[in-house]
Amino acid sequence: MKLFPREEILEQALAVISEEHRVRLGLVAMDVPLISNLDILGNLALIKQFRENLPKREAESLALSYLQRFDMERIAYRRNPNLSAEERFCVMLIRAVLVPEAFVVIDRPLKIVPDLQDNRFFHDMMTRVADSWSSCVIFDYPWNRERYEDVPVDIDEL
Amino acid sequence: MYTAIERIGEKSIRTAKSFYETLAFSSLVFFKMFDRTSYNSAMRMVLVNQIYFTSVQVLPLFIAVSILFGSPMVGITLQVLQHFGLADRMGSVLMGFVVTELSPFMTVLLIALRSSSAINAEIAVMKVNQELKTLDVFGIDVLDYLFLPRIINGILSIVCLSSLFSILALASGALFSRYLFNMSINDYTTLLFLSADFSDLFILLVKCILLGFFITLIPIRFGLRATTHELTSIPISVLNGMVKVFIAIVVIEVLSLLLRFI
Repeated sequence: MKLFPREEILEQALAVISEEHRVRLGLVAMDVPLISNLDILGNLALIKQFRENLPKREAESLALSYLQRFDMERIAYRRNPNLSAEERFCVMLIRAVLVPEAFVVIDRPLKIVPDLQDNRFFHDMMTRVADSWSSCVIFDYPWNRERYEDVPVDIDEL
Repeated sequence: MYTAIERIGEKSIRTAKSFYETLAFSSLVFFKMFDRTSYNSAMRMVLVNQIYFTSVQVLPLFIAVSILFGSPMVGITLQVLQHFGLADRMGSVLMGFVVTELSPFMTVLLIALRSSSAINAEIAVMKVNQELKTLDVFGIDVLDYLFLPRIINGILSIVCLSSLFSILALASGALFSRYLFNMSINDYTTLLFLSADFSDLFILLVKCILLGFFITLIPIRFGLRATTHELTSIPISVLNGMVKVFIAIVVIEVLSLLLRFI
């Protein structure tokens, strides 16, 4: 986890890291939304279909298995506007780990889940897919540090 | 005076630039069509969906329009031919007017009104919502995934639906010819085959391909001109795109007419 004192420093660092790891970047960010004319399963399967030319059925079954890890099979056929903030974060996280050898970057997760009550939410979500990424980094500000209780990544305050 | 000339100059430069950009984009898409790597699983899925939405879903309406509009047109044409004693020219008039001119024109009007506007709005909404950025971040080529299936579908739809319109109109022609000229179905079909000119049919095919290509490519180009986070840019992009689609249809129609008379 990288904690930045100011927005412009954070965005600069994010741009650099995104460019460095462009091929295997799995970005979870508010300004990288889900595709609105695809359902959740379609959004997730698309990564495998396009990046690895996996047949639709296989890609969807893989996507469904990830949703099952979060007990969220029920949202498979919903679309982005019908998701809660927590569900949206999970789907974005799954989409990121579906990138082959994913380098997952989570950009200010509290922008996606602004009304988060439970400080262990990110820990719970990330541990369920921690086996699927090659590395993961969270970008945020120091004053949000306590919201990331026990997250499975190192903390680096800049 | 200077301001007026300046304004004309600016507008000409802008138009020329836009025309050049459209041609450059067209050539990029054209070469992508022949690249096997473009046809991955996701792209094929979008292509099938697009064909369903454009060509299959519209069938009931299209068949109704073809019969309601095509039959009276053929009937009136045959009646005029009878009135002027030109019954022997029936085959060439039906092939030259109904098949090569009326069918593609009616088809392209319907598809442009229904699908081109939808494509333009869809791409503009995706641009405004930053969904195109999402595709780019995840290494999904928008040309392969979004644009190519829509353009290929445009070409296939116009070619297939034009053929369907021709078949329905010519079938109603068979009924009118029996009623007006007491002509058997066999004589009617023989007459049509004898009147079919290969060069006209070739021009028709090329015209359908060009119409299908441009009535999908232009809305995509204008959809991309929408501004991120600005919802008001969507109607502007659709308005401009649809006007250009109309201009493209007129230009292609005029060029095909000129080609036929050269």
